[in-house]
Amino acid sequence: MSASVEKPHGLTDPERAAKILAAIPDHDLDTQRKMNYFLKPRGKRLSEYEILTVYSQPTPDWIAGGLDWGDWTQKFHGGRPSWGNELTELKSSDWHHHRDPGRRWHGPYVKDKSEDWRYTTRLLESFSADGGIRTLDPTWRDEILDKYYGALLYNEYALFNAHSSVLRDCLSDTIRLTAGFAALDKVDNAQMIQLQRSFIAKLVPGLDDSTHAPKQTWLTDPVYNGARTLVQEAWQGIQDFSEILWAVHNVYDPLFGVFARREFFQRIAPHFGDSLTPFFTAQAQTYFQVTRTAISDLFFESLANDHQFGDFNRTYLRAWTGKWLDGTIAALKDFVGLYAKIPPIAGVTDKEAVTEAVSRVISDWVADYADKIDYKVNQQNLVAAVISGLK
Amino acid sequence: MPISAATKAATDAHALHRAPASVSPQEVHKWMQSFNWEFSKNKTKYPTKYHMANDTKEQFKLIAKEYARMESAKDERQFGTLLDGMTRLGAGNRMHPKWGETMKVASNFLEVGEYNAIAASAMLWDSATAAEQKNGYLAQVMDEIRHTNQCAFVNHYYSKHYHDPAGHNDARRTRAIGPLWKGMKRVFADGFISGDAVECSINLQLVGEACFTNPLIVAITEWASANGDEITPTVFLSIETDELRHMANGYQTVVSIANDPAAQKYLNTDLNNAFWTQQKYFTPVLGMLFEYGSKFKVEPWVKTWNRWVYEDWGGIWIGRLGKYGVQSPPSLRDAKQDAYWAHHDLALIAYALWPTGFFRLALPDQEEMQWFEANYPGWYDHYGKIYEEWKALGCEDPKSGFIPFQWLLKNGHEVYVDRVSQVPFCPSLSKSAGSLRIHEYNGRKYSFSDDWGERMWLTEPERYECQSIFEQYDGRELSEIIAEGHGLRSDGKTLIGQPHVRGTDLWTLEDVRRAGVVCSDPLKRH
Ligand SMILES: [Fe+2]
Ligand SMILES: [Fe+2]
Repeated sequence: MSASVEKPHGLTDPERAAKILAAIPDHDLDTQRKMNYFLKPRGKRLSEYEILTVYSQPTPDWIAGGLDWGDWTQKFHGGRPSWGNELTELKSSDWHHHRDPGRRWHGPYVKDKSEDWRYTTRLLESFSADGGIRTLDPTWRDEILDKYYGALLYNEYALFNAHSSVLRDCLSDTIRLTAGFAALDKVDNAQMIQLQRSFIAKLVPGLDDSTHAPKQTWLTDPVYNGARTLVQEAWQGIQDFSEILWAVHNVYDPLFGVFARREFFQRIAPHFGDSLTPFFTAQAQTYFQVTRTAISDLFFESLANDHQFGDFNRTYLRAWTGKWLDGTIAALKDFVGLYAKIPPIAGVTDKEAVTEAVSRVISDWVADYADKIDYKVNQQNLVAAVISGLK
Repeated sequence: MPISAATKAATDAHALHRAPASVSPQEVHKWMQSFNWEFSKNKTKYPTKYHMANDTKEQFKLIAKEYARMESAKDERQFGTLLDGMTRLGAGNRMHPKWGETMKVASNFLEVGEYNAIAASAMLWDSATAAEQKNGYLAQVMDEIRHTNQCAFVNHYYSKHYHDPAGHNDARRTRAIGPLWKGMKRVFADGFISGDAVECSINLQLVGEACFTNPLIVAITEWASANGDEITPTVFLSIETDELRHMANGYQTVVSIANDPAAQKYLNTDLNNAFWTQQKYFTPVLGMLFEYGSKFKVEPWVKTWNRWVYEDWGGIWIGRLGKYGVQSPPSLRDAKQDAYWAHHDLALIAYALWPTGFFRLALPDQEEMQWFEANYPGWYDHYGKIYEEWKALGCEDPKSGFIPFQWLLKNGHEVYVDRVSQVPFCPSLSKSAGSLRIHEYNGRKYSFSDDWGERMWLTEPERYECQSIFEQYDGRELSEIIAEGHGLRSDGKTLIGQPHVRGTDLWTLEDVRRAGVVCSDPLKRH
């Protein structure tokens, strides 16, 4: 509902505009034109991201880094506070310290994704016009892609949902934005897997894009046993927002997620005439890498290197790593059982090649994560544990 | 069909039909409901006494990438207008100063609401069981991130272009000093995120968004335009385009619990409490910001209120939910009384405490006084005369040493804070419906101003433990409080808050110190 009669606008109605101009002082009343000027910028100068985001959460000063004071004005039934230090085991000297190096606020984030969407649609159109579907090996398409790649959507969907309580509970604005964008990327991955299935079903008469088969695979196939067990726990088994983010983004996804996307589906697809899947796995890996940059700032730059609580936090991060690594290795061990379901490809699916692939992922993880919190691990043992799942 | 036959079919199909194909968002979304599965721990971390149904649908059918496309297109229009057209017109400093000050409060406080709505919709995403419903709440999470950034952008833009950037540039640090902040936190922060998840949804979506979004986001754009501000409409109307989906989320929340017996028992009480919670702050604050924070008036607040809160929301919107057992809240009648005078009562207190603001406040001029009297008969005899007396005592003049809060105290007009809403009120000067009540609990006294809040506190006092500003500031001299809360401009001595919007005669911290105002908790005198 809006007012029916057009009312004069102060900017354009000349009489009114003149009155307004007369009321505006002929000089500026302050010289400080930078919003959030009191904030120490991470880079040389305050970025638009820092201006638009930092301190939008009204954190009281008894949560480190907060500018507000006093108590919450309404609490949960029973008196639990809206936000409090007890929401995580980790400690910080300033919860508002984290910055996403990508400087993403909502505007740039949706702009990037909307470009991805446009490019995805263009690619699908050219793929279909090109008849790329004709070279797709039917067994790969119907037995592996449809069921096992399809089942991966549930993995991504669970990881997406693991972020709901993080977005409710986390203690600052920049963490909340980082977690929000990571979450949307995860549900996007899940949706892109289903989109690819619907696309293939459109091009191949007689195929159906129902989620029934992949869901059954996810729920009952031993290949996904370990993955399913782990993501269920990450989704609803724990509530500490730091632990959830750590388990998902610093242990499970860089190992299991990267292996499944990069080393299995992306690497093997071309051998079966499939140029479509690598497009989507590459897109998911792009999101993974962008998220990694932001999450690494949170955990390494901000929490593990906190001048006051760094050592304390590292102790927790190491304990959490141990806790989630076992399940992740179990998930990978189950997953490599999938190699037995495809025709052998020399140099790709034999034990030696798979061992190399697993080693690549594990050594990446050690360099990018474990080393940064001095988590000691025997890489060979981990690789062997995974490889023991080869059928 | 055998596999080889399927491949042949694909090849044949391609031979016949070579046109490019793609997949629409709806074709993906139609499978979303099946993305969930049951497992033993799959229950929410935010318990609710209601049960949300597993098959709840969501009508907007967005997927992540399509969401991004839509929002990015809106951003392009909005930021294009702002950064190109508006800046060329010099529109960032062509609004009436009274309104330019109002936007320090309005945009920053709305930002807090948007920010907390991120966490609130995340809580609902966690507590919903249907995958479509989760997806709908997720879109809202993203929208609220957008709105947080957009509100910030208004203050950011004003900081760059408006003749008085102070307050726009540091609202996030200085807003906590004054008497409006804590009440704002109740409605816009804690009310959305601390409680039974469905109760929070009712606060956020069914009341905050479905009821107060119209006056807050739409009516404000009319007041802005009338006062020369085209920045706010450009941004706020773009925010508003997302809000329809949020109101629909609220509607779906009710639909999802409609068949639950708990809904019959609790829903109307929760709705009544939520409505009272929201209106207790918004009714006076919005009325005050519009009518006292502008030079050119659009229409009396009571009219806007009646149209949007009473008729549109209380009548039509709640009426649509009637088939689910939802009734118009009984507190609506009391609120209707407040809509007439409550904002005048609050404006008086806000002006009396102007040094604690992060914005400049001005007395109504002669023309405005006539408008007030014409639209609220009796206004002049009650409020107008007080403002005239304050003016005569030199309240605008830094050399006078007179701050109206002193006048209130000296004349026995104690200012209390309602414990539950955190809204200040002055019983001896109040024309609105409330009245003072005091309770003692665990050796401390607490003040209240209305039945509904009093009842909420009596039921669950542990939810309302937050001290009022007067308890916090008890015994402290005003200039000290302001300095500690960073209420100063970049010269380190002039106050951000001022009792007028002129370019001269600005009060300094020293002027306030000379006035010698000492805060005290009125409950100590009971
Ligand atoms: Fe919003
Ligand atoms: Fe909203």
